[in-house]
Amino acid sequence: MSKKLTSTAISQRSLFGPPPILEGEDAATYDELFGRVCAAVKPVDVIDEMLMADVVALEWEVLRWRRLKLSLIGEHALMALEGFVRENLDYDLYRKHFVDELTTVLQDNRAEDQMEDFAQTLARECARNEPDAVGKVNEFLAGIGLEMDDILHHGQARKAKELAQKYRRRQPGAVKLIDRLLARAGESIEAFVAEALTEELENVERIDRLTTIAESRRNASLREIDRRRGVLGETLRRRVQEIEAREIDVIEATPAKGKNAA
Amino acid sequence: MTSDRKIKANRTNARASIGPQTRGGRARSAKNAFRHGLSLPVQSNQAHCKEVQTLARQIAGRHAGAHFEILARQIAEAQVDLRRIRYVRHQLLSEALAERYRYESRAVTRMKFKVIKQFLTPKLADVSLPAFIEKFLTTAQEGPAKFATILSIETKRLLSMDRYERRALSRRKFAIRAFDEVRRN
Repeated sequence: MSKKLTSTAISQRSLFGPPPILEGEDAATYDELFGRVCAAVKPVDVIDEMLMADVVALEWEVLRWRRLKLSLIGEHALMALEGFVRENLDYDLYRKHFVDELTTVLQDNRAEDQMEDFAQTLARECARNEPDAVGKVNEFLAGIGLEMDDILHHGQARKAKELAQKYRRRQPGAVKLIDRLLARAGESIEAFVAEALTEELENVERIDRLTTIAESRRNASLREIDRRRGVLGETLRRRVQEIEAREIDVIEATPAKGKNAA
Repeated sequence: MTSDRKIKANRTNARASIGPQTRGGRARSAKNAFRHGLSLPVQSNQAHCKEVQTLARQIAGRHAGAHFEILARQIAEAQVDLRRIRYVRHQLLSEALAERYRYESRAVTRMKFKVIKQFLTPKLADVSLPAFIEKFLTTAQEGPAKFATILSIETKRLLSMDRYERRALSRRKFAIRAFDEVRRN
């Protein structure tokens, strides 16, 4: 059976071109889908193979658009969640990230005569809100066109992103923390999904249109296969009747000769 | 009012502007209006003609006769056309997905310009760009957001390809029905 499928697949490739696989899609999954459809349809001629190849390609497209829609909404919802976490994150939770960011900025722009650990020490003191250090850092940042808030927001954003990613992977610590933040603010994850849907409505509608087109074309190909099965069945029935009629003629003719002979 | 001297110069320049002069230049400019070539019939390409022939023979199979051959050829032409349209569409999407910066949402592009503008002031000329800003500027949109942006930017081209596909599908459907009808009788 598998050998038969492989030969059909090879003939399909040469007749109908390479499979419509895009970047990030799995060729093996496409082949599996092709094999399953082939086993169900059992094409009897080239036209059947054409229609079957259409069904597979269009089904692949339907799956692609559905996947895209889900991941688009999911990603947007995650971004909304990330924004929420960023807004509601306590300073203690992202202090380390703030220190890292500030250290990098200070180190990249430090004067040649300053020690290497100067940046980290100053960043730590600043994070502890020591007035001298805060003053120095503010002065330093002003010289390079930045503000303390820029660094703070970036540290906060990095931590929020980390937490949101962990939440997506359902890591218990992140789930617990985010659920607590959501409960405290009276929010829910469904609200972010709804927000994502609203924001992405134009894209979702566009993807839905593409899905509908692919679905209706796939269904049309399936209908054609079905209709051809009917035609094939009718043709076979007629052929059988013709053969039977000829056989009957022969049978009827043979005893008549015999009778005459008798 | 345009002076006589200027009018004369304009006319002389216009006479000199007669388009590409070399054979290569003329060949290139002849293709200026070429977009995807889907409006051209299958017969205009030799490779496609061969494919049509091969496929038509396979479709006609053991059924001999001129009528069968014509109908099989019609199916094959529509099928090769369909394959060509789908290939062009697939190429468009593949190339767009492989592009790194071209397909970015307007909001992100605007934000990047704003940041660049801020750092282009003479006061900050010697300042090294903070790592997180550099990362933001050099990171391109990826994943589903990029795909959605591609669909949004390329809607017009995709729709035009869709029209070609719809017509080819319709041609093939009726050709198959006619072929089956003749075969049944």
